[in-house]
Amino acid sequence: MAATVVAHLELDRPRCEGHGLCEEAAPDLMHLDDEGELVLDVTDISEQDLEAARTAVRVCPVAALKLA
Amino acid sequence: MTAMHPLPSPRVGAPGRIVIVGHGIAGLTAGDTLRREGFSGELTVIGQEPHDPYSRPALSKAMLGDLSTPSPGVVTEVEAQYLAAPSADATVHAGRSAVGLDPEARTVLLDDGGVLAYDGLVIASGARARCFTDSPDEYTLRGLDDARALRQRLADRPAVTVIGGGPLGMEVASAAREAGCEVTLVHRGQPMRRHVGDVLAGLCTSAARDRGLHLVDASVTRVRRDAPAGGLDIELSTGGTLRAEVVVSAIGDDPNDEWLADSGLLTDGRLLIDDWGVVAPGVVAAGDVAWRRSGPGIQRRALWTDAIEQAKVAAAALLHGRSASPVSYAPYFWTEQFGLNLRICGEVPAEVTPTVVDGDLAESRAVLQWEGPTQGGAAAAVNFRIPIPKLRRLARPAPAAA
Repeated sequence: MAATVVAHLELDRPRCEGHGLCEEAAPDLMHLDDEGELVLDVTDISEQDLEAARTAVRVCPVAALKLA
Repeated sequence: MTAMHPLPSPRVGAPGRIVIVGHGIAGLTAGDTLRREGFSGELTVIGQEPHDPYSRPALSKAMLGDLSTPSPGVVTEVEAQYLAAPSADATVHAGRSAVGLDPEARTVLLDDGGVLAYDGLVIASGARARCFTDSPDEYTLRGLDDARALRQRLADRPAVTVIGGGPLGMEVASAAREAGCEVTLVHRGQPMRRHVGDVLAGLCTSAARDRGLHLVDASVTRVRRDAPAGGLDIELSTGGTLRAEVVVSAIGDDPNDEWLADSGLLTDGRLLIDDWGVVAPGVVAAGDVAWRRSGPGIQRRALWTDAIEQAKVAAAALLHGRSASPVSYAPYFWTEQFGLNLRICGEVPAEVTPTVVDGDLAESRAVLQWEGPTQGGAAAAVNFRIPIPKLRRLARPAPAAA
């Protein structure tokens, strides 16, 4: 059931401070690993995941996430 | 998600028009949430600053970093951390202010004389820094222009006096030391204590002293411009006076609510929201402008996460009334100062000694936990990368049963 990709999620890793507010907003798309580094589990964003991805981008206090 | 649930709004007559006053994080989040909740009407955002939306917490952190350039006066440019644009299909008026509100007619008056009619209104007009004088040698740090101006001035390595020992004052002092300035910080009592409690405030203070910060324990009664000599005189509660070349005032902020003065929406001069962010029928508010009941008193907490959580709830309430969930979250904030990176979840009980859950406080790397009163405790990470969900769990120690 490959969904159509409508956007790509991008991370500016040097800027990421590992707060994890994005993980709270979109736990199905990303998580912080044991070292506190952000791992994007999904970067090809489907329509279904778009709102969660947008919310994750919005809550990042250092604007490290971007939808392109 | 299919955005086509109808608009069963008891507050907004029809899909109609919603106006958001403010395009900081609260206003942006409200706009996102309105669209997500199915609002398909006309969305207008009024932004006081002419800039695209940016991260305010970064102003006193990344935006003041990297100042130790080889030669004084040379400023390396640091880009603002711009936020994602407002929700699709919003009309944004940047560089305009709301100057009046008529809740009967449901109109917002703008500073250029324009009038915007609304069916629903989100008030997220934020706050502004307090200051003592209008001297060009006194700086505050609230907006992007402030950060750029201060950055420019710090590059000349002036002697800096910071007034106020909360997170903002300490972050500015830290950046100014880092830039090579002589820095004095004036604060009555121990800096940071109210925000992080005795133990962490002690850590911050000794880290600051180790890095050469001069601390003056006093409150400031007045700041005077010294016209002939230039600079400023800071009069202290202890009777003395400090001469200062550059002053940075970090003494809190005042809500931008003057434009609501004649609206009848203020309660004892304050914009008071309930647990759903509701002010009045068709009017909600969120972020730094809004006061909330908290126990016996009311409080206004100017934090990134407060603004976001309040805005989500307020936007939902504007569409669905109080059938949506009320606001409920533990506060979260972080600060970077004098080599310490602190992340705090919950409200730290100042006099309680925390348990060290991980790491070692003596090495300035630890995870701490406070047992709190009924509504939960607090947790902190010191120079420790820890995901906020985990920190939140630590701040909310074990309800009896799973």
